[in-house]
Amino acid sequence: MAVQSEPVRVNSPGRSGAQQPPKSRRPAAGPSLLSRIAPYLLLLPAIVATLALLGWPLVKTVLLSFQNLNRRQLVQHTTEWNGFDNYKQLLTSAEFWHTTGRSIAFTAVNVVLIMVGGTLVGLLLNRLGSKMRLFLQIGLVLAWAMPIVAQTTVFTWLFDSRYGVVNWFLNQLGWHSMATYNWYSSQLSTFFVIVLLIVWGSIPFVAFNMYAALTTIPNELYEAARLDGAGSVKIFTKVVFPSLKPFFLGTTFLEVIWVFKCFTQVLAINNGGPERLTETLPVYAYIEGSGNSHYGMGSAIAVLTILMLAVLMAYYFRIILKQEDEL
Amino acid sequence: MRRSLIGRSWANIVAVVLFVFFAFPVYWMVTTAFKQNSDIISKTPVFLPLGGTLEHFTTASGAAQFWEMVGNSFIATLGAVLGSLVIATLASFAISRMKFRGRKAFVLVIMMAQMAPWEVMTISVYMIVRDQSMLNSLVPLVLFYMMMVLPFTIWTLRGFMAAVPKELEESAMVDGCTRAQAFVKVVFPLLAPGLMATSLFGFITAWNELPLVLILNKSTGPGSAQTLPLWLTSFQSTFGDDWGATMAASTMFAIPVLLIFLILQRKAVGGLTAGAVKG
Amino acid sequence: MKRQLIAAVGVAAMVVGVAACGSSGKSGDSAGKPANYNGKTVTAWLMDGSAPQAWQDGVKADFATQFPGAKLNIQIQKWDGVGAKITTGLSDNSVDVLEVGNTQTAGYASTGGLMDLTSAKADLGGSDWAANLNASSVLDGKQYAAPWYFSNRVVIYNKALWTKAGITGTPKTLDEFYADLDKLKATQGVSQPIYLPGQEWYTYFGLIAGEGGQIAKQNGSAWAGNLESAEAKDAFGTYTKLQSYSTAPKDKDEATPPQTDVFSKGDVGAMIGLGWEAPAAKDMPADNVGYFPLPGKTADKPSGVFLGGSNLAVAQDTKNPDLAKGLLKIMLSDKYESMMASSGLIPNKTSLNSLATTPFAQAAIAASANGATTPNLANWTSVENPPSPIKEFMTAVLQGADYDSTAKKYDDQITTLLGQKQ
Repeated sequence: MAVQSEPVRVNSPGRSGAQQPPKSRRPAAGPSLLSRIAPYLLLLPAIVATLALLGWPLVKTVLLSFQNLNRRQLVQHTTEWNGFDNYKQLLTSAEFWHTTGRSIAFTAVNVVLIMVGGTLVGLLLNRLGSKMRLFLQIGLVLAWAMPIVAQTTVFTWLFDSRYGVVNWFLNQLGWHSMATYNWYSSQLSTFFVIVLLIVWGSIPFVAFNMYAALTTIPNELYEAARLDGAGSVKIFTKVVFPSLKPFFLGTTFLEVIWVFKCFTQVLAINNGGPERLTETLPVYAYIEGSGNSHYGMGSAIAVLTILMLAVLMAYYFRIILKQEDEL
Repeated sequence: MRRSLIGRSWANIVAVVLFVFFAFPVYWMVTTAFKQNSDIISKTPVFLPLGGTLEHFTTASGAAQFWEMVGNSFIATLGAVLGSLVIATLASFAISRMKFRGRKAFVLVIMMAQMAPWEVMTISVYMIVRDQSMLNSLVPLVLFYMMMVLPFTIWTLRGFMAAVPKELEESAMVDGCTRAQAFVKVVFPLLAPGLMATSLFGFITAWNELPLVLILNKSTGPGSAQTLPLWLTSFQSTFGDDWGATMAASTMFAIPVLLIFLILQRKAVGGLTAGAVKG
Repeated sequence: MKRQLIAAVGVAAMVVGVAACGSSGKSGDSAGKPANYNGKTVTAWLMDGSAPQAWQDGVKADFATQFPGAKLNIQIQKWDGVGAKITTGLSDNSVDVLEVGNTQTAGYASTGGLMDLTSAKADLGGSDWAANLNASSVLDGKQYAAPWYFSNRVVIYNKALWTKAGITGTPKTLDEFYADLDKLKATQGVSQPIYLPGQEWYTYFGLIAGEGGQIAKQNGSAWAGNLESAEAKDAFGTYTKLQSYSTAPKDKDEATPPQTDVFSKGDVGAMIGLGWEAPAAKDMPADNVGYFPLPGKTADKPSGVFLGGSNLAVAQDTKNPDLAKGLLKIMLSDKYESMMASSGLIPNKTSLNSLATTPFAQAAIAASANGATTPNLANWTSVENPPSPIKEFMTAVLQGADYDSTAKKYDDQITTLLGQKQ
């Protein structure tokens, strides 16, 4: 049911182990020229699309990052190379490093909350009876299916200072100072709304994946563990987690990328404010690039963002590539 | 596995709380859209909008070229989703089923491609499209939206494909099928959940896209290639504090996605529970 | 300047417009040429809410008569991402004639994307344009745009509430105004005497101008933020005092929520706004809405105001420069300028001011005597773009930050933005 990043790879070590011996066996047709180029033919459309539609803009972005490209150059179609100026300016600016640190912390907080929350909800789904499961799944799907632009408008409305239902609710609970609280007045409370929005919108994906992955764990494993007298915590650490390691790796990988790149929610909730204190790297790149029309600078921030993400992800790349060897 | 009644009801209570947490914003959006203005701006929130109104929906859909934008959004989104499904099915078959030189490199590229920060690459995309004289057209939208979802689609389908036991395919080939036939007859049907799941993802991504279309398709009026996110955001800034109309617009914007979710979701569930992919 | 404008001015505009037929019947430029414009299209971008429908229809009709065969495509652009739209529009040649905000004109002119209209100025009627309104269209001595319409903010008040508070007449000095606001505060049924959000920098800008100060000052060839100046500090004192009468959010501007909506609810004594921000007739009867210029410290002159407006420009890369200029001439003709005037805006020629007879326009024209515009700098746009340092500065100080050190901090930001390489 769920979008699975690494579905059912659980069993793959065993299975691929079993298939090691007939390694040399070829498809019935034999090693004809066609079967040797077949994989390349199959990949051709994907390669062409990636080169043309992603590679080209990416190379262009890198090139632009070495240019002084503002409105004038864009309008007049002129190219002014300025070497490493953009990078020098960025890497020596405190603002850039603050934003970077903030982005990393922001990603870490979100991903931890999403993964823990999603895992717990997934475990709950697995535990519920079929009717309650469907009921909760409907709730999750509603949140998941909400278009991001609609999500942000709804959250802005929920947290509206005068007529927002959140403030009303807190006031009812007896927290009267919150009756007309302005959530966007401080960095922390603005981040609270943004994080809540992202976590709310992201948990369903993880929960569904988790649940789907859980259904692939053979019941015998649980039973064996229970016979050994393991409690739920132990079952999770000894049975579930090891079986689902690929799932956790794959999903965390995607969530880190998605949250780090997350743009619409951060920009739409409070435009990176107050006082630019909730700007993350993509928002910073957007405000410098598109907003202030310093496209070369914006491209340099984009390139640095990609590099940073690649460094953050290097560990994952290695693990996942290692798994590829086992295929 | 039998559990104590207490254990069950505890789980059920948590499930209800979680349901409210996840569904409430959506509920609030839809109900606000139907409320009278006096009920929207009231110190005590109205939770059940009895005596609602359709006025906000009329306001929202009355925007110029609304239906044209609906059509454009569907063309761009469906085009992107179908394109990426076809390309990804071919590619994921190759990487999950075949051994060849460069496979690892390709997988690496796909993983890297997922990191592409499209929002900040808009200006390069814009310059490319401008230089190809393709502005104010749906074609670049279809192409780039397709590319935005392609890596994820390949990545996910590859997982689904790897989960289909090779033996199934091989036995079909023993029965005289060619490899292509075996794929179409045996593997493809088992991929249904994967295909559904990835099309959902693709649909949501393409349906939401704003920064590119904002600068690529600036031409307004009849025959424009503008899409619904432009309508939704302009709506917000034009109507500002008109939460009823804004929520009506958000609801209308969300409905197609919700519908597609409901339709695809059932098939996807069916695919999984059939046990075929449990391995 | 504004986000969305006048919507309810159409009818009045048409009536006056038809009566005040100007000189657009015959254009000296095109009369002698063979009238074959088949297959040629001119695209004009106007901002959402700028031009009444009757104005657009009239322009289209006149254009069709004057340039038979040519097609005029008026596209209404939304305010979202307007900077990116115009910049890319000039780059990809998708627009011929465009509306540009007066504070933004220098920025676009400096990109080379706007056509130099110096030689066409006289033909466009430029000899009669009010000099202060034309200033923003000129950069380095060249005419890159033409003044279209202008406006400035006045105090818009709820007459019923003022009567209820026992106020007779409108204040002539700020002290009188404060006294009135105190009376309103004590009146039942008044939720706040005035609605003034913390980031309404246009009013603050006007107050600085009224003190004789500048928001940014020139040091040699460079420009620097000037919030630290004594004038800016005095002006902010006035702003703070006015703002203290409001419960509006200190970290929002007049557009979020639109102050019109707040004022329309009927329990707010006053707001500082433009003509189109006055409540719609369905929300509040027009005769309950009054207007007066924001008073100054002394009775002899009102407070300073920010003079906002829009210019019309021709894209440098237009394929049909003659048609584009022809269209500009029609749009700027007395006939259509009169329509703008009768809807309450200030037209480009002082001689047409007499047509601006709405109650708002009368107050606005009185106040505009003390009007000023932002420095005519290519980089000024960056200061207005979100996150705008001026707005953030205002919020910070209103929320209790020390004036001098905060001003210094944001002056540095403004200086950096103004000094950025182009």
